[in-house]
Order: sequence, then structure tokens, then C-alpha cells
Amino acid sequence: MTIGDAGRLQNNSMPAARPEIGRKFGYALLYVVLVAVAVLQLLPLVWLLFFSLKNNQEVFDQPALSPPLNPHWENYAKVWNAGNIGVYFLNSVWITVVATVITVLLGSLVTFALTRMKWKGRAFVLGLFMVAMMIPVHSTLIPLFSMFSELGLTDRPLSLILSYVAFNMPITIMILLGFYYALPREVEEAAIIDGCSVNRMFFRIILPMTASVLATTTIINLIYNWNEFIFVNTFISSDTNKTLTVGVQNFVGQYTTDWGAIGATLMISILPILVAYLFLSDRIVEGIAAGSVKG
Amino acid sequence: MFKRKWTTTMALALTLGLVLAGCGKNDAGQNAAEPSGSKDAGGDKVTIQFMHLWPEGVSAGQNKIVNQIIEAYQNEHPNVTIKQEVLDNEQYKNKLKVLGSSNNLPDVGVTWAAGFLQPYVDGKLFTPLDDLLTGELNGKFVAGTTEAYAINGKTYALPLEFNIAPVYYNKTIFEQNGLQVPQTYEQFKQIVKTLSDKGIAPIALGNKDRWTGSLWYMYLADRIAGQKVLADAISGSGSFEDEGLVKAAKEVQALVDSNAFVKGFNGLSNEEAKSEFLNGKAAMYLMGTWELPNFTTNEEIPKSFRDSVGFFKFPTVEGGKGDINSWVGGPGVGLFVSENSKVKEEAKKFVEYFVTKWGEQSVTGAGVIPATKVDTSTMDLPQLYIDLFNEMNKASSITLFADVQMKPNAAETHLNMIQALFGKAVTPEKFAQEHTAAISKGN
Amino acid sequence: MSNKKMIALYVLPALLLILAIVYIPIVLTAFYGLHEWNGIGAMTFIGLGHYKTLMQDKAFWSSAGHSCLLAIFSVLSLILYLIVAMVLAARIKGANLFRKIYLIPMLLSSVAIAQLWLRVYHPTNGILNSLLVSIGIDNPPAWLAEPSIVLYALFIPILWQYAGFYILIYYAALKNIPSSLEEAAKIDGANALQIAWKIKLPLVMEVVKVTIVLAAVGSLKYFDLIFVMTDGGPNGASEVMASYMYHEAFRAYDFGYGSAISFFLLVICLLVTWVIRKLTAAKDTIQYS
Repeated sequence: MTIGDAGRLQNNSMPAARPEIGRKFGYALLYVVLVAVAVLQLLPLVWLLFFSLKNNQEVFDQPALSPPLNPHWENYAKVWNAGNIGVYFLNSVWITVVATVITVLLGSLVTFALTRMKWKGRAFVLGLFMVAMMIPVHSTLIPLFSMFSELGLTDRPLSLILSYVAFNMPITIMILLGFYYALPREVEEAAIIDGCSVNRMFFRIILPMTASVLATTTIINLIYNWNEFIFVNTFISSDTNKTLTVGVQNFVGQYTTDWGAIGATLMISILPILVAYLFLSDRIVEGIAAGSVKG
Repeated sequence: MFKRKWTTTMALALTLGLVLAGCGKNDAGQNAAEPSGSKDAGGDKVTIQFMHLWPEGVSAGQNKIVNQIIEAYQNEHPNVTIKQEVLDNEQYKNKLKVLGSSNNLPDVGVTWAAGFLQPYVDGKLFTPLDDLLTGELNGKFVAGTTEAYAINGKTYALPLEFNIAPVYYNKTIFEQNGLQVPQTYEQFKQIVKTLSDKGIAPIALGNKDRWTGSLWYMYLADRIAGQKVLADAISGSGSFEDEGLVKAAKEVQALVDSNAFVKGFNGLSNEEAKSEFLNGKAAMYLMGTWELPNFTTNEEIPKSFRDSVGFFKFPTVEGGKGDINSWVGGPGVGLFVSENSKVKEEAKKFVEYFVTKWGEQSVTGAGVIPATKVDTSTMDLPQLYIDLFNEMNKASSITLFADVQMKPNAAETHLNMIQALFGKAVTPEKFAQEHTAAISKGN
Repeated sequence: MSNKKMIALYVLPALLLILAIVYIPIVLTAFYGLHEWNGIGAMTFIGLGHYKTLMQDKAFWSSAGHSCLLAIFSVLSLILYLIVAMVLAARIKGANLFRKIYLIPMLLSSVAIAQLWLRVYHPTNGILNSLLVSIGIDNPPAWLAEPSIVLYALFIPILWQYAGFYILIYYAALKNIPSSLEEAAKIDGANALQIAWKIKLPLVMEVVKVTIVLAAVGSLKYFDLIFVMTDGGPNGASEVMASYMYHEAFRAYDFGYGSAISFFLLVICLLVTWVIRKLTAAKDTIQYS
């Protein structure tokens, strides 16, 4: 892969276009590999679509990638009619979005303070954040539940938002850190000389400069929050406050599981996150350049 | 413009800070007070929280019955509201544990027997239901079912289901290969050999779930060493190092060696293994009577297959002490009432009502065998169901599933050892010793 | 506003949240770990008893070995992810589309990924074995039932599951490098490999260091796919620390012991992070200029 890539760039940098066999071959090879991997990466989605249109018999009997011969669209109807999928959906959307926005914003503030301000205890605070990602989630369930229950927060969306923000904060800060370390200080120095306040600098200069990593952490947070189900199951008991991930459970019975309907639920729930991802993915652009221009 | 944005952020941050600062001060616990109402509420509004594991999507039969019963109960008791929460098996068990640890159990919930129940009873979280047993429900339960929920003479849950585990077999495959239902274990081994020689998987087994393999071991143990020796070993009064029980473990490995089980059985879930049987790829399947709907009324499964399913009793072993009418099985889930429920009396009444109604409706509506006595003679039921129902009534003994009866820690060891035994990672002797060690620890 | 207030304003909201939501459970886990407790009844203080048991618990150490192996593989696979990200970030035709497609599997929940890979590995009609049979391999292994291969069979979906995550981060980091740097190097006659090695790599090094820690810690407490696909079996051959902890705490009702395992796991993560930080400590930080 890299060889092909290298060959192309190298030749591009040469002023005269000299179409050689080697160059063409490398180029073709690169694309063959790229396309092959792309197809492989799309297969899971295709598989899920097929899966969602089969019944239990077919799910187990037919090859996984064989198209459903008589598609069971009723799986989707089942999902749509069973329980409160609409309510779950709305809950998923707003809880995911709110938690993600808070995480990314608070995470950026912390990272800025950790990398751009000089103060005692920086290393210690960074350590605190890092240790926070080292606890297995199942160990936190009993203590967290007791705490939320003392606070009267069980069965409230706030318990989910607080947990999502707190548990995704360390990883968000870690990712941001790598980017903040590499930011040029010149822009800030210029800004400070211009008499720009710290807040103004953060919001007007730093945040735009980190647009690409903001988009990255946002995508990651959205995915994590969207797919989370252990906290939902543990902290939430009312149907009106549950999220889409528990929709899957509607089809896991005491003795049997309706796999087709689970597939349909998964298919429905992947669509919004897919759209969000495709949209945000375009925001991963040359952030620093953008920031520099504005600064 | 910019300033305003900043203030909003500040406000948000401060709110978060306040929320956290409120830790400890604020534990009035609005939600703990949710099930409100006084104990002997005649007309006071009462909410009973009911947690179960029959989701609408898949356990449609059960879910419908639950809703019908609840609706009927609410109509009869207009002051009572039943609030349901539904989770799947695994999540249900986890949540119950988390709720139990912080003393927040629902008023009514689903529990399993014996070993599962023990920690909750030790922690005084379940309330004894003996008064219900002497009341309206007196004599209504099938003998031996409520006992599985009794600890130190008190019954802590009322069973809903009752199951035994026959060997289901595919009549078509048997006919095509000229095979007869085995009466003895020798004949059974011959069937395994014939099928395996022809490249047909003899037995569907999903031993990733481990309790599935435990059934095979238990039957062999029962047939070789006799029901009493097995039951004593499980309860701790006997020993797994008994000669007959060790021999049963050896037989398990002999079956594995003769390719009796589907390929990769130790990595397959019960669900996957079951599909091998349902798709006609494996000839036999040892499983509980809860699978009956799949072989009788489930429209998703081709009728031709359903019609070709039969069952036989686990064959007797020559020279063994077992009886062919001795079964492995027991009650499935039952209902408990939380000791700390604020509406304990109402919850008990609801449980009493629920158990009464469940019996009959679950036969016709869900195709399962209830733990309460029902008269099936007037019902239109599939033959397979009737046959197994009758077998159950003439059972000489029913040994409770080992992993259900053992205490949680010992049950884990048992299940792990079962997987190791089938995977030939332990010798039968070691298998026995590990059991002795685990059971003697008493947790 | 004074500087101190400023810093407090930036750091405290997140810090307080973490202290309340994550540190209270950590402290309580440490506390439970010193007790005999089934999660429901009374607790009995036993000091370091659980840790003594843990030291001699073969099942635990075997699971710890599996976790460490996963951590090593995860960290090594970062190299591959970085290469892919470099290709995707190069200005070749269609790179944008490729990147979008490549990361799509990352969106799938672990429930879906587990189901997919169970179908891949199914011993008789799985995608993999069907392929193997069709090319003439008669008796392909039952991947998830063989104690000697199950762990490696699980690593593949796990590494695949996280590929998108790291590629995304690397991609963003690479895109952050001002194109002027690359142009300048080209004018100086550097080829693409040289640019990648001498210019791009040093500039994303801080990000790479962070991902090493993330991959190591993430692997050490990994749980999801293993739990669904094998449940740690057969015979504990694919048990990892987090699944072992879960089995002890939630299945065997040994919550005290489970908590001790969790706390020990945290200490291991801390040690590993410290070692990684020491090994990767830079003398000076490189910045764009």
C-alpha cells in the first residue's frame, strides 16, 4: 500500500509527467487494495441488512451473506409496533447529543488548562483523569446505583448524562491532549499581545483550530453514548426514559430470541448515527490552517 | 453575542457543579417513595412495581398473559396500579443484584430457585410467602415445586413453571437410518455410532452455556449411580467422588470421543445448537419442556419439522441403579415479594392472584407447563405436550438442575467443570475432586 | 478574573464530575475489596485476604495473561492503523470516500459485531469454514471451541472493532499538519516515505503516544465481545480480567473478591501507563511552526 502511495507522490513531484509502467502498476495496485478493503468494510452493513430480513430459521441455516430469499419485512413492522420505539429513539437522540456536547466542551476546557496554562498540580490532575478510565464498568454499577438512588436520580435521564460525561471524559481529554500539545504557541502569543482575553482566545482561536479533533471526539462520543446499554438497564426502569439500545432486549426472551427482529432494531438504530458520522466526518479538515487564518 | 455564549456555558458548568455539590444533602429520595400507599389500603392509591423477563417482542405468549392478568387485577382492584419493567435474562439477573445490594428491589419480581434465591434470603430481602400457601393456593401446586424455593422451612417464592428434560429426536432422521428409540444406554450408543458413521451429527449441544452439558452429566449420573447418590452429592451430604458419579463423568468423555455431539459444541450457545436440531442437521436434543412450543405450535418453524419431533426418556444403563422414570428438571422461575416493600400486603395479594391465573392461561397461551395443577383433559393440546405432561405426573423422582440447586459459587465451579469435562481438559477424577472442594466451601 | 479562578473555572466542572461519578465507585471498589461480601448481605472485613487469594488464583493469572497478550497485540496493530490513516490522508483521488467507508464498522454496536463474528466463526456453516471447505480444507477447526486458538480467533474481531477508532484519530492528526510543510519538503526533494517518516510521524507522535496508552488500558479492561462470543470459555481459554471479575462478582456472588480483582486491574493499568509514559517520554515537544 505505502509503496504504491510513495511511488505516486514521488512521481507527481517530478515536473515532467513520465508515464512509466511502474507508476501505473503501483497506482493500480493501491486502488485494488483500497477498493477490496472498502468492500470488506461495507460487508458488515450488508450482512446486517440481510440478517434483519431473515427469520430465526434462515438466520442459522443460510450462509450469513446470502440474501434473504423471501425477505421478512415484518421484522421491521414488529420492531416498530413493539413497545415504545419512538420514545426510545427520541431519548437516545437527546441524551446522546447533550452528553456529547458537555463532554467535548468540558474536555476541551480541561485540556486547554492542562496544556496552555502553567499551574501547580497539573500533572496530578491529569493523572486523576487518566486513572478514571481504568475501572471496569461493572464494578461501578453497584456504587453508582446506590449513589444515584440516594440523590433521587435513578430512573432519570440525568443519571445517564452524568455517567456518560464522566466515563467518556478521560478518553476525550486523552485524545485532545495529543492535539493540544502540537498546537503552535505563536498564535496564542500574538493573541495575548493583542490584548485578547483567555476566554476569548479559547473560544475564538483554540476551538476553531482544533475543529478536526473536536469532530473526531464528537464522533467517538456519539458512538459510545448511542450504543451504551449497561447504564440504561441499571439506572432506568421506566419505559418513558429508556433508550434505543434496550429495544434489542424486547426480542431476547426467556427461552428464545428473535434474531431477525434484533437485526431490524440494530439496522434502524444505526441509521441516525451513520448520518451524523457522515456529516461530522467532513468536518475533519485542516483545522489548524483554519484557525490560523482567523487568528 | 460571544459574551452570552460564554455565560450559558458558565451556567451549565455551575449547574453541574451544584448537582454534584448536592451529594449527600439531598438524599430525601423522591424516587424511593414512589410506591406510595399505606399497608392496609382499602381505597388508597397503590403502585406495585413488578420486574419480569417476558418482553413483548419475543415471549409474546407470556407477555400477553402477564398483561391480561395485570389488567384483570387492576379492574378488580381499581386502587392498584401495576408498573412493569421488562429486561432480558442476563440483564435481569444483573439488575436484580444491583437493586438488591442497595435495598431497592421491586415489590414483586421473578426469581430462580434454590441457589439463586439463597443470598437474597440470607440478606433478608425476600419475604416468606408461606401464608399464601396455606390460603387460597393450598394444594394447588404440583408436589415438589414449592420446595425448591424453600430455605430453612420457609418458602420465599411461588413457582410459575415446571419443567422436565426429555431427549427430543428427529423421527425422520431415525426412520431414514433405520433407528429405533433406545431403551438402554447400549442401544443409545449404537444410535450415536450409526449416525456419526454416516456423517450426521447425533446430538445438538451448545455447551458454551454449560448448564446444557450439565443435563447430560446429570442423567448419566442418575442412571448409573442412582437418583439418591446424585441428589446427595449436589446437596453436599454425599460426594461427587462416588464411584458411580465418576463413572458418569467417564461416560461423558466416552460420548465426546464417539463424536456424539455437534462440531464445536463447547463454543456454541444453546441457541445455535438448538438451530442445528430445528434445521434437521442434528438428530437428538436434550432440553427442557420449555421448548415444547417450538415443536408444536410455533408457526415460524416448518410444520413438517414440528410433526417429526418425538421424545424419549433417557435410557437406563445396564447395571446402573437408576430408574427410567427419574427425571432431571424442576421449577423454572417463580415470583418473590420484597421484604422491604412498602406495599407488601398488596404485592402478596397480587402474587397470589397472578399464580392462580397463570396456571391455566400459560398452558394454552404459552404452551408451557405450569407449576400449579391444571386439568388438561378439557383442553385442546398437542399430543407431544400431553405425553410429556403425563410423563411428569408419573415421574418417580425429579432432580433439580444441579446449577440451580447449588449455591452460586459452587454452581460456577460445577458449570466450569462441566465445560472442562466435555472439552477433556480435566480427568473424571479431578472433575469430582473440584466439586467436592467447591461444595465444601459452602458458598 | 485572577489566574487561579480562571484555571478553576476551566478544570473544576469536569474534575468534580469525575470525582463524584468515577472516584466514588473507585474508592468503594477498593473498600469492598477488603471485605467478604456477596453483594447483598452483611460485609465482613478481611483485610488483604482477597489479594492473598488473588496472588495464588491460577484462573486469574491466566486471564491476566490473556489481557496482556491482547494489550500487546492492540498496541502493535496501531502501526497498521497509522499506515492506513496515512494512505487515507494522502491527497489521492477518492480518499475522502474511502475514509468514510473504512470507518463505518466502527458505528456498529458490540451486539451487532458479536453476532457478525459468531456467523464468521460458526464451526459448520460459518463464513470462514465454508470458505476453507470450498478451497479443499476438509476439517477446519471449530474456532471458538478450541482452547488453543479461541483467544486469537477473538483478537481479530476485537482489533477490527477498534481499527476505525484509531484510524479516525490518526487521520485527524495527519490532517492537522499544515500542507505547507509537506509542500516545502517536496520542494527539497523528499519522497513520500521520507515525508511520512521524517515529517508526519514526528508531528503526530504526541497523538501516537496517547493512543498507545488508550490501546493498552482499553485492552487490559476489555470485556464486550469476549463476553458475548465465548463467555470466557471454553475452560477459561478466552477469559480476560474484566470477564473474570464479572463472573466472580455477578455469577458467583463474590462481590468482595470481584472488587479486589477490579482494584488490582486498576493498579495494573496504572503501572502499565506509567511504564508507557516513561518509555515514550520526549525530551522536547515538537510543534508545528
